[in-house]
Amino acid sequence: MRAVIVMIFLAFAGVSLAPAPARAQDAQADRAVPAPQPPAAPQSQGAGNAIVFWLFAIIAIGGAIAMVTRRNAVTAVMFLVGSFIGLAGLYVLLYAHFVAVIQVLVYAGAIMVLFVFVIMILNKEEEEPWALRGIFGKAISGLALLYFLVRLIMVLVGAPKVSPEVAGPLPTDFGTTKSMADVLFGSYLFPFEAVSLVLLIAVVGALVLAHPAHPNVGEEELS
Amino acid sequence: MIDAIGNIGAGHFLALAAVLFGIGVVGAIMRRNALIVLMSVELMLNAGNLTLLTFARLRHDMKGHALAMLVIALAAAEAAVGLAIVVGVFRSTRHANVDRLTTLKY
Repeated sequence: MRAVIVMIFLAFAGVSLAPAPARAQDAQADRAVPAPQPPAAPQSQGAGNAIVFWLFAIIAIGGAIAMVTRRNAVTAVMFLVGSFIGLAGLYVLLYAHFVAVIQVLVYAGAIMVLFVFVIMILNKEEEEPWALRGIFGKAISGLALLYFLVRLIMVLVGAPKVSPEVAGPLPTDFGTTKSMADVLFGSYLFPFEAVSLVLLIAVVGALVLAHPAHPNVGEEELS
Repeated sequence: MIDAIGNIGAGHFLALAAVLFGIGVVGAIMRRNALIVLMSVELMLNAGNLTLLTFARLRHDMKGHALAMLVIALAAAEAAVGLAIVVGVFRSTRHANVDRLTTLKY
């Protein structure tokens, strides 16, 4: 528990070590001038953006930490729904409106309802919430977390800047349902259909797996 | 420091995705309840989605959004099959503790 909190704190310290984006007025001035764009600053549009980002980031991370640490599974599901809604807000901040709506509908709606149903079916408190016990397990987990943090900070510090010709002014139809459909039913048509097949197989597999296993059913059908 | 807080860039989103993925890994490894493990996997998939959308925003490329949609659909399929497996395991063993499921181990 304490190690997780320390990890989050250090991760945010790593955020402050990230390559600092250019100032907001620079980004707004570059919207008129197309050619030289300061890299890695497409989202910097002022204080409101930052407030919304930190709000939803705190919601997402707080929900995730609460989900991992809660003993009761139903409470964990509720916190995970909160985390997913925070993530949907971050998707909106990234101009992914359609994906944000689908996130709320499918994830926070359908999948989490499925989880709640299964928890209501099982409804059994676990006796030991944490797997790693003792000084040895805690040392191993602490070392793993430390390694993860060091790698994260190294990635953030050494992140390559995006090339200037890529980061121009945003297209006006970016993130809309129409441009989404153009990609999804254009160049991504085959993966789309493959995913539909995967969903069909998943439905059949779930039915087969969750079907109550009566020992006499197979013999009756055979005879 | 103030600049890193006030000016939100792509690095912020990527760092947030990495933190969420780390929390998901911690949950998937350390929790014993199979349902919490599945929820942690969902959290990791969402962190990957956040990375995809961040790079789509950075490169002005809608293909990242299409990929995120496919990931959401696959996560739904994974949740359905995983929960069915959990229910089946619970039916036969009367628990859903991943540490006690050692039938295939020995």
